[in-house]
Amino acid sequence: MKRTLILIFLPFLVVLPFSYVISEKACGSLMSFHAKKPIPFNHKSHITKYGAANCETCHGYYENGRFKGLPTVGECKACHTDNDAGKTPEQARSKPFFANYKDGDRPWEAFAKQPDLVYFSHMAVMKNEKQARCSSCHGLKEDSMTTAKIKGKMPMGQCMDCHTALKISNACMVCHD
Amino acid sequence: MATMKRKWGMAIDLDKCTGCGACSIACMQENNLPMFTDDSDSPKRVTFLDLMRVTNDRDTDKKFGDVETAFIPKMCQQCEGNDPKNPKPPCVSVCPVVATDVGDDGVVSQIWSRCIGCRYCQASCPYEARVFNWWKPDYEGSFKEGLSPDVSVPSRGTVIKCTFCSHIWKRERDRMLAKGVKDINAVLYTPSCASACPTGAIIFGDLNDQASEVSRLAKDKRAFRLVHTIDDKPEEEKKRLMAIKHYPNPKVYYLSSKQWIKDMQKFK
Repeated sequence: MKRTLILIFLPFLVVLPFSYVISEKACGSLMSFHAKKPIPFNHKSHITKYGAANCETCHGYYENGRFKGLPTVGECKACHTDNDAGKTPEQARSKPFFANYKDGDRPWEAFAKQPDLVYFSHMAVMKNEKQARCSSCHGLKEDSMTTAKIKGKMPMGQCMDCHTALKISNACMVCHD
Repeated sequence: MATMKRKWGMAIDLDKCTGCGACSIACMQENNLPMFTDDSDSPKRVTFLDLMRVTNDRDTDKKFGDVETAFIPKMCQQCEGNDPKNPKPPCVSVCPVVATDVGDDGVVSQIWSRCIGCRYCQASCPYEARVFNWWKPDYEGSFKEGLSPDVSVPSRGTVIKCTFCSHIWKRERDRMLAKGVKDINAVLYTPSCASACPTGAIIFGDLNDQASEVSRLAKDKRAFRLVHTIDDKPEEEKKRLMAIKHYPNPKVYYLSSKQWIKDMQKFK
């Protein structure tokens, strides 16, 4: 009896760990679980101490309405200029870890990632008549002092809940193409 | 967000069409459709815009010199069913997984990630505008580097179709929002086939806007719709037929001065 049970469940025992590993890897790459954050960053100090006005100072838009996403090293260096001489204590210091990067590089990868089939537009959500908050999808980044993930998953139900509550159309083509 | 008042439609002048196929190529490039090695007139061809070649050489009364050829660019006709206020195209009512739906602007959407590949919609489509992805997309040469990031590459085993380049509308909406225009009815766009047409045969616009060129062309004497026999029936007969049967009622109008093309649209 015991042997039969083992024989019945053996395939499951073998397959399950494998499928777990595979799905974990696939989901991890799909949902950007392991985004690279090579340089530590403190959101809170940048906002409170150094007076970054809002999120758009670093995460802005291009002229055609596209979201820039994470800033490039060049954009960081606009404040963290190389020459420290003659700076007042309020001005941003030069950062030696930028030496390995070119101006166009983006050192950080984003945790927030939409699937390929979603046409998500920050412009449409943030600059419209009804506006969303950054924190409703990304978590309270302005309070975070590390680059750790605050809020990872962005399920479609969350988008649809907001759309229903604000009486915005929920037709498929609003977001998908 | 303001409610959508637009109803996108298209008018294609077959007298101006030279059959160059630029619309088809532009469509494939814009929508990330791969070109396969056996990409000819085969029925399994994966394309949104099919350039049909029609000729009157089977008409018995035509002599040698009278035979004419015309090209009909045929994409998804964006049907709306009998009642435009409650649009029910033939494909939407048969989809078991709500992968296809009618948007606010009247464009029939197709979400391939939701599609299970049952191909009911393909069977129900009167225009054979839907295609089934038989193969994994295979891009030749450096085509893959030029893929549009706005359009997802559909997976094998799903049905795809033309959506009037809805991603271009979204792109234009973002551009208008960046300028500070928040009204979505102010956003105008042109699908890639209409912008690629060298003779200006494809006109795209808003059918609800009476001043637009497409609504003017839709009321033209030369206008007809593909295999839509109800169009030239009297008004009362139309009502009687629509009560007993569903008609696709497409939003793509064709214009031709040749009578034999219009005769082709009728069942004999």
